[in-house]
Amino acid sequence: MNPRQPAPRVMNGTAPESPIESAQTVLQIEDLQTHFFTPVGVVRAVDGVSYALKSGETLGVVGESGCGKSVSALSILRLVANPPGRIVGGAIRFEGRNLLEFSEPEMERIRGNDISMIFQEPMTSLNPLYTCGKQIAEAVALHQGLSKRDSWDRAVEMLRSVSIPEPERRAHAYPHQLSGGMRQRVMIAMALSCNPKVLIADEPTTALDVTIQAQILDLMRALQDKYGTAIILITHDMGVVAENADRVVVMYAGRKVEEANAAELFDNPGHPYTKGLLGSIPHLDTAARTDTKRAKLNEIKGMVPSLFNLPQGCSFAPRCGLASDHCRNHKPPLEEQRPGHWIACWHADRVLGGVAVGAA
Amino acid sequence: MTALLEVEGLKKHFPIHKGVFSKVSGQVYAVDGVSFSIGRGETLGLVGESGCGKSTVGRTLLKLLEPTDGTIKVGGEDITGLGAQAMLPYRRRMQMIYQDPYASLNPRMTAGEIVGEPLIVHNIGTPAERRERVAGLFERAGLRPEAANSYPHEFSGGQRQRIGIARALALNPELIVGDEPVSALDVSIQAQIINLLMELQDEFQLSYLFVAHDLAVVEHISHRVAVMYLGRIVEMTDKRSLFEMPLHPYTEALLSAVPIPKSSARGRKRVILTGDVPSPINPPPGCHFHARCPYAMPRCKTDVPALREVIPGHFASCHLHDGGVKVPLGAAA
Ligand SMILES: Nc1ncnc2c1ncn2[C@@H]1O[C@H](COP(=O)(O)OP(=O)(O)OP(=O)(O)O)[C@@H](O)[C@H]1O
Ligand SMILES: Nc1ncnc2c1ncn2[C@@H]1O[C@H](COP(=O)(O)OP(=O)(O)OP(=O)(O)O)[C@@H](O)[C@H]1O
Ligand code: SF4
Ligand SMILES: [Mg+2]
Ligand SMILES: [Mg+2]
Repeated sequence: MNPRQPAPRVMNGTAPESPIESAQTVLQIEDLQTHFFTPVGVVRAVDGVSYALKSGETLGVVGESGCGKSVSALSILRLVANPPGRIVGGAIRFEGRNLLEFSEPEMERIRGNDISMIFQEPMTSLNPLYTCGKQIAEAVALHQGLSKRDSWDRAVEMLRSVSIPEPERRAHAYPHQLSGGMRQRVMIAMALSCNPKVLIADEPTTALDVTIQAQILDLMRALQDKYGTAIILITHDMGVVAENADRVVVMYAGRKVEEANAAELFDNPGHPYTKGLLGSIPHLDTAARTDTKRAKLNEIKGMVPSLFNLPQGCSFAPRCGLASDHCRNHKPPLEEQRPGHWIACWHADRVLGGVAVGAA
Repeated sequence: MTALLEVEGLKKHFPIHKGVFSKVSGQVYAVDGVSFSIGRGETLGLVGESGCGKSTVGRTLLKLLEPTDGTIKVGGEDITGLGAQAMLPYRRRMQMIYQDPYASLNPRMTAGEIVGEPLIVHNIGTPAERRERVAGLFERAGLRPEAANSYPHEFSGGQRQRIGIARALALNPELIVGDEPVSALDVSIQAQIINLLMELQDEFQLSYLFVAHDLAVVEHISHRVAVMYLGRIVEMTDKRSLFEMPLHPYTEALLSAVPIPKSSARGRKRVILTGDVPSPINPPPGCHFHARCPYAMPRCKTDVPALREVIPGHFASCHLHDGGVKVPLGAAA
């Protein structure tokens, strides 16, 4: 294991000479396709997604609920249940080697060691029958070869680092005896305990209040600075994305529809879906307070298309205010509209030009 | 507004056992004397640090957990001591949207069966009417109709959350305890659900206890907001006063730690609170917040500040206001 130089953090996202450019790519996902074969048809949950990740970098992944963010993350670790799920195409290169060609024992060594994951729903991955301390200690013992005693101490120390009060006592608690946010932090402690090269964080802070959230994100950043960890940050919290991500991938219905450096994405969204998404964020502002009648929030009207049966053209067309016949009939390719800014939309130039994208 | 729900002095303590058969070695003071009321057609937002007791308040007031102490009244009737049978009619009027959808949906039932189950339990409608009602609920929660035949594990996290929302709405309840009901949703679907909840409220005078960490969402949907810290309410008032003039230092810290969804936020440091999070097993004496409070005074370490009406309609428990209201909180004495 070669200790890599941590990439310095870029404070101004628009810096043209980002030092991250020169860092080494740790993980590369190429044209990943993960489908579910169900009795009623094939669900194309991930349908040709590519992205790359450099050490020390944080990649934000955002998108509509159900668009394939978690399934693509689980695919990286080959944790999609088969059947009914199967990775039917693409490659996942970790330090140059395709994980899809690894044997199961080889994968076991990668998981939780080189690549670890904070799962979206803690109860899916915490064992209800074991205390939290034991679960972390076992992970530590397995991957770092520590003694029983030392791994327990390490577990307690990890619980303390994620702000669990009285960790010595709480290490003896079972998952159901903890609050939602405490369970989430137990999982974070477990994922961070082995200093992974790649950390996949799937909605890591949804159950946390903003002050503890800030501490946890700081902890993740400290780990990143120290070990050059690359982070995939999947989240619905656009504030968390804005503060932490170097680049952002936007997904819609199993595909990547936009990718850009974070500042560029927030300032100049180029896909109508991204623009609608940013427009739906509720802001803490006086507008909502001064009105005696509560204002309606902006929303993107309509529903994501069925993944059994994706429209022929652009998947977003049924909900898009700019959709033309061409959009409905032809899938827009992902194109580099500006340096480093990729967009899959026939009307990207108009969106970048500032045209309103009102609902269909 | 007449109060639909009145909670007085609510406590919930969990015993800690050392080992499976051995004696109780302590208590988790999860909820330790909480009082509030919610009017018809009103939303009370409930915010606070992770682990401070919000979910326990919700589950105890619906009597999914037995309260240790205190009273719970619904429409003026005391339900605190009612047994399972006597609770049944109240169960129909009060529903919960759970924080952890994965753990709260039966894995062996399809989404359609889950949403329709309360209708069967309470004997409502014919099978055909129930199917129609379920279809309508799916649509309102933003779920595709064909999803009714899928099992919980076949959904994404946010889709599962919407199944829980549809189930809670099935019986046209009067009170919904929403425990982080929208935190698993992307902002666009979140907006749809919040708009839906506000519409239903205006139409049917629904009452909500809305637990959430996203303060912008809380600000949007609530009429009043209560802030909890380590088992107690430390501040409660209408949302405008709370967001514009927080009177408790914890509320102030919370508001200033909100992440900003703008490109200029890159790399922003917002760790405001340092110091160890106090434990509900050994709550500190005096003000629960004193070890982390930037304004703590000697008396904060020994005297418990009472929750009192510092300004008409604005309750706070903090010694800073003992000699009259002090704003800003950090002003020289
Ligand atoms: N076992 C399964 N069988 C069939 N379909 C599945 C299965 N698991 C996931 N899916 C489908 O795959 C799609 C992608 O799911 P995924 O969990 O990746 O969404 P997501 O982007 O993470 O959403 P969220 O933001 O709500 O977590 C969803 O539409 C879901 O219904
Ligand atoms: N069944 C239980 N046994 C023992 N302790 C419990 C139990 N349920 C909850 N607790 C404890 O009660 C306290 C309050 O938990 P609760 O779930 O109400 O917090 P919360 O405010 O909802 O937090 P979060 O925002 O993280 O969901 C926590 O310290 C938790 O560990
Ligand atoms: S009572 Fe004292 S310690 Fe508590 S919040 Fe007020 S000033 Fe801070
Ligand atoms: Mg997900
Ligand atoms: Mg909770």
